[in-house]
Amino acid sequence: MEVEAYRRLFPLAFLERHLGQSIRPDARRLSQVRETTVALGAVSTAHGSALVRLGDTTMIAAVKLEVMSPTAESPDEGSVAVEFHMPPICSPLVRPGRPADAAPVISKALEDVLMSSGMLNLKELCLISGKASWLAYLDIYCLNADGSLFDAALISAVAAFTHLETPLVSVGDDGRVFTVGGNEGKTKFEFVNREKRKLTLGDIPFSLTCALHKDIILADPTSEEESIIETYVTVVVDSSDRIVSIQKLGGSVASMAAIKDCISLAKERRHQLRDVLTNSVEAMEVDQTE
Amino acid sequence: MEYVNPLTGFRVDGRRPNEMRQLKAEVGVVARADGSALFEMGNTRVIAAVYGPREIQNKGQQVNNKEALVRCEYRMAEFSTGDRRRKPKGDRRSTEISLVIRQTMEASILKDLMPCSQIDIFVQVLQADGGTRSACINAATLALADAGIPMRDIVTSCSAGYLCSTPLLDLNYVEDSAGGPDVTVGILAKMDKVTLLQMDAKLPMDTFESVMGLAIEGCKAIATYIREVLLENTKRLECQRG
Repeated sequence: MEVEAYRRLFPLAFLERHLGQSIRPDARRLSQVRETTVALGAVSTAHGSALVRLGDTTMIAAVKLEVMSPTAESPDEGSVAVEFHMPPICSPLVRPGRPADAAPVISKALEDVLMSSGMLNLKELCLISGKASWLAYLDIYCLNADGSLFDAALISAVAAFTHLETPLVSVGDDGRVFTVGGNEGKTKFEFVNREKRKLTLGDIPFSLTCALHKDIILADPTSEEESIIETYVTVVVDSSDRIVSIQKLGGSVASMAAIKDCISLAKERRHQLRDVLTNSVEAMEVDQTE
Repeated sequence: MEYVNPLTGFRVDGRRPNEMRQLKAEVGVVARADGSALFEMGNTRVIAAVYGPREIQNKGQQVNNKEALVRCEYRMAEFSTGDRRRKPKGDRRSTEISLVIRQTMEASILKDLMPCSQIDIFVQVLQADGGTRSACINAATLALADAGIPMRDIVTSCSAGYLCSTPLLDLNYVEDSAGGPDVTVGILAKMDKVTLLQMDAKLPMDTFESVMGLAIEGCKAIATYIREVLLENTKRLECQRG
């Protein structure tokens, strides 16, 4: 029988024949992660943006800031609204009438991780205490869904915030705060936030998703592997080697040893991702000075 | 506001009245789709993905079982325009443009070769700077060609307007929101037939003919570019096959 037909008709057997030789269908080793690239500034209409590719999985994230009045309980804090979209272009399984099941789950998980990791200090998003603060809308669009969606989405969110530069803001005659775009009236208005334009990010979270099949751990599964093996563990660690979050949403049982292996794989991955991020920031700075 | 400088003849972005924005196209950007393309016209950036022909998912929608069913959905990303949009896909403008793109592409797809099947065209706007409708149709043509779906001809589209007594080709967002007439034309390039024609605002008959003629010229230029891109892509695929 032809290989392609065997792959479609007996996917589990196809995968297990490969795992028996300690290799995966796309020729990766069991704990090898796909190539990751980050490009900052992909969307020129947004205040901060990034395009991330993790193998074939492609995500584009953009942050847009709007001025709003802070709540009474926290008058010197801004807020962040995170949304993850899976438009029908990303996968043959997503239909126009019905949004993908994974999208709201990933949305919520992303929001939780970004808040609990302490990367964003909401006090930095405050403009005038009690009167005006930033509401940051983070929109992440999946352009091609090929497994490890949460990992790619998290990298793109972090990269977009790294690239973010808050627009200049001034107070009008009626007391309302408004943004001043571009070079118009640079000398006319008095700016509230002339000095502080970039956010200082705290501990940056990095994640790794592993698929668990019997007692084999596959790091960074593709969508084909995810559809066969329906048990995954997502581990999020931050730059000080602390575990921010572990998610294993049901699936077949796994031993503590397997979970510990996933955590150590995530820690290794953190070093790789940190290098990728710093390289992309340097690449952007080189482009800007040219 | 001065959309065309009376002394130099340049527009707000430095183009001449009959000059189109810079075009850039890339085929095969979405690996999981049967066919996909990224199309840029200046700052307007659009991704189209085609899935099909595949099994009909909702038998209730099938009208004629001797032809393929073509579906299209147009969406704008929330960060694509200057102000963040609240309702990116359910609103009336998106529904109208989805219908327009579907009917324009249906004129070219040879539907009776693929009965009892469905072809889905999904278009996502990443950056909007005027002319999104045209960019979407051009991207959809490339994506359909990449998916290998049989078509009568390449469908290309371009817009033109009339401001400060000059016909202008390929309006950007600033010129589009100036309130002048906006003519969008979609043609089957080699057959020289018009499939899409939309115009709003009042325009005298002879001015309309010159503006439409300009838009058709623009469409033909885009068709030449699309043909080059498809030829490059085919050569690349041929090299890969060895």
